[in-house]
Amino acid sequence: MIVTTLKPLDEVLGFILPYSDILVVGCDGCNQPPRGLREASTLGQLLDLAGKPRGKVFNFKITTVGKQCDDYMAASVLKPQTGNAEAVLSLACGLGVQTLAKIFPELPVFPVQNTHFMGAEDRDDGILEMRCVGCGDCLLAVTGGICPLACCPKGLLNGACGGAKDDKCELSPEKDCAWVLIYNSLKRQGKLDLLKGYRPPRDYQLTGWKITA
Amino acid sequence: MSELVPQEDLTLVEEVICGAGGKVYLAPCQIACPLGEDIQRSHAMLALLPLDPEEADRQIIRIGDEIYEKNPLFPVCSYICGICERRCNYKDETGAVRRRMLVRLVADRYIRYLETAPTLPTPDKGKVAVIGSGPGGLMCAYELSKRGYRVTILERSHELGGALRLIPRYRLPGDIVDSVINSLLRIAHIEVRLGAEIGGVGKKIDDLKKEGYQAVFLATGTPVSRPLTINGKPVDNVNLEGVTLGLNLLYEVNQGISSPGLYRDKKVIVVGGGNVAFDVARTARRLGGEVTLVCLENENRSSRDGIPADGEEVEGAAQEGIRIVYSRGVAEVIGESGKFKKIKCPRCTSVFDENGGFSPRFNHDDVVYLEGDVLLVTIGQGRDRAIYEQEGLLGKSRKLDVDEITLMSNLKEGVFIGGDVKRVGFAAEAMRDGLNAAESIDRYIRGEDLRTGRKKEYQDAPVLSNAYYKSQPPLIWVPAEERLNFEPFEKPFTLEQVVEEARRCLCCGPCKSCKGCVAAGLQPVVSGIEYDEESCINCGDCAFYCPCDAISFKIPHGVSFDMTLCRGCGLCAAVCPAMAIELESWERERISGSITEAVSDMKRPGILVFLCQWTVLPPLDKKTNPNAGVIDVPCAARVESIHILEALQQGVGGVLIVACPEEDCHRQTGSREVQRSIAALEKRLSQIGIQDRVSFCTVTPRHQEEFERELERFSRKIESIGSKESK
Repeated sequence: MIVTTLKPLDEVLGFILPYSDILVVGCDGCNQPPRGLREASTLGQLLDLAGKPRGKVFNFKITTVGKQCDDYMAASVLKPQTGNAEAVLSLACGLGVQTLAKIFPELPVFPVQNTHFMGAEDRDDGILEMRCVGCGDCLLAVTGGICPLACCPKGLLNGACGGAKDDKCELSPEKDCAWVLIYNSLKRQGKLDLLKGYRPPRDYQLTGWKITA
Repeated sequence: MSELVPQEDLTLVEEVICGAGGKVYLAPCQIACPLGEDIQRSHAMLALLPLDPEEADRQIIRIGDEIYEKNPLFPVCSYICGICERRCNYKDETGAVRRRMLVRLVADRYIRYLETAPTLPTPDKGKVAVIGSGPGGLMCAYELSKRGYRVTILERSHELGGALRLIPRYRLPGDIVDSVINSLLRIAHIEVRLGAEIGGVGKKIDDLKKEGYQAVFLATGTPVSRPLTINGKPVDNVNLEGVTLGLNLLYEVNQGISSPGLYRDKKVIVVGGGNVAFDVARTARRLGGEVTLVCLENENRSSRDGIPADGEEVEGAAQEGIRIVYSRGVAEVIGESGKFKKIKCPRCTSVFDENGGFSPRFNHDDVVYLEGDVLLVTIGQGRDRAIYEQEGLLGKSRKLDVDEITLMSNLKEGVFIGGDVKRVGFAAEAMRDGLNAAESIDRYIRGEDLRTGRKKEYQDAPVLSNAYYKSQPPLIWVPAEERLNFEPFEKPFTLEQVVEEARRCLCCGPCKSCKGCVAAGLQPVVSGIEYDEESCINCGDCAFYCPCDAISFKIPHGVSFDMTLCRGCGLCAAVCPAMAIELESWERERISGSITEAVSDMKRPGILVFLCQWTVLPPLDKKTNPNAGVIDVPCAARVESIHILEALQQGVGGVLIVACPEEDCHRQTGSREVQRSIAALEKRLSQIGIQDRVSFCTVTPRHQEEFERELERFSRKIESIGSKESK
């Protein structure tokens, strides 16, 4: 899921002050925390309350889309609802915001959130953690299901740096050493042999920026 | 009868079937209760009682009516039972909910009402004879009369009650037994013949059939004391002066035959480790004796050979100065010039064999002698076999041959047998037999199959994993030195204590098997859930937050609701990011409507209060609080930010969310969850400077003054914000 956090309300208010009719679009996709219809409604209510003392009355149209980053879906759902909107507030990650900007070329589209990373969720501890960097050359099959690029601050591909202390990373005593985790995982699976192989340096060309769907 | 809430079908309990197995989901206490009392329901209703004594009394009578319907001897049970407490989910945490003391309060109020309570319709169907008037016989007679049969109870002694008459009065007051039985006979039009001997020289069952009785229920109990034996042989010298059966003592004391100082300055030895032995020991102590109790079993109650009497009995006896000698048997009773002198007690090394059979073993090298003036033998009871032999009701190895489900004799049609005579147990278990026999007799007389659909299987409803356990209130006993008489020494709970203790009940069973809140008028229905699968975005928040594990993921997507587990807090509806879930009676639109209505009705700056209905507060007085409006919610967890913001948008000065404290939350986690969501909302409101307009507080249930204080404090805050802004 894409991990996002909400921007401060006054920043969002600043975006929309010049406008009155505003389309607020939630995203039911992989946003975490979810920013669907409820969040879109709440945002409208909060901005309405924030606008009042400044004598500003907005007219919000609240809606949501399954996945804002799918231009076909977003356009199909949103185009009929555009009406006389003068601006769009997007509750998606940066991908959704850019998609909306593409399908509404005449309208300003504003992000309501800051987008952080691809994260995995630990519900009980309430933590969202970066576990994948999108390298384009997945190593997880040989690293016991733990990505050294995402989890080792040094991004080392061939074992621990030697700086770990009590299984913790030398950069932060709160962070587990990724390579200790990898070792333990492979040991549990009886696959320590995998550590003997050499992993060549990462091919940055693979990261790419466009794939034909 | 009280008419506070109409007895519509909506309030009636429903059977809740769990999963595909066809088992009935129920709170474990209710599964344990031999009479299937709606325990959770009465607890919920007691927890919601008003504290105004008169108003409370009216509702207590109604609760009593419901319990009486299932158990016409419940006032008696409120002194001597407690089977449900053994299965309470609280038991191993801080101690069971004290159901017995809760019912005691109902019983104390109800027993007066019972004397004038309306009777059942006069029965006009066939005649049935019930032999024996203990709890089993009485229950059977009552149930048959309810079903329209004309019942006659035949009792050998000169008063009704059977074994109930052997319970010492400090445990069960005689007037309670009298009153309950007299009312029962009157209400159910039961005919009684005292001094009626059946079997032996008395009537035979065929004689009864000739008199027109279509069926007979034999519940003759176990009036015969078991004799002392060692290694399977009777112990000699039991005819010495001073050697008595404990049961005889209990009978004579309750009849007022024995003198109050019977054992003054005498050393009394009681043999036996069961509850009856303790009754005998404590009775002897009250007659002035210096009492020693000897039992085969050891002190460790949880071990296989542990003492069988209830812990409270052992504790109470010890307090009263009764000496308990554990792990000793009686090998010999020794007399001197015809009088009891002492007993020879070898160490008992084990009581039961590997198969759990009673087979005590002794070390005869380890022997003590206990001297005394009186020996009371109370080591169990047996049935009077005569009638069963005579009527040919004993099968192989001279055991009663009775169908376990129908209780009809396998050897004689139309003869039903139950209660202690069949298997020694608690009073309520004998009553269950009476109830089952009545069902069988009804079917038998109508010529229906006796067995169809009788056996129901039950499944314990799961306990909330995050249950909050409050400490168990102690039983208050009169101090030992002041209670050596036959007055009850256990102090009843006050109305306030009852309400507090009832609130401790976790309400483990499914809402529909209870509906106590509906019956008490707290909410209109047990709320259903409306789930719009099309809007669902599969985020899983509802399943994650549900405090009762009622929501699970469907494959491949969506969620499903297990309404046998749902407690209707509405947290799922409040957190769903897609607003795809609605709670019946508290739908989003309906709450919005209530907000608009409340806001139009209040003076400015208005305060809108979202109030958890389980705080059980009286309606807000509009005269003293013209600027406040209250919206009741089923649990504070149902409050969602959209509604709070709606109220602010409509111009109210502030919104106050009132929950129960975490430890009082009827839904266990509702209070905590709403705090979390309010904190998140406040953080966002602080970005536009209006965080002070929303406030959360908890109010101890029923503490109106706490609520008023919070409201006052919040109103002042809102006023001060208003005046600052106008400057």
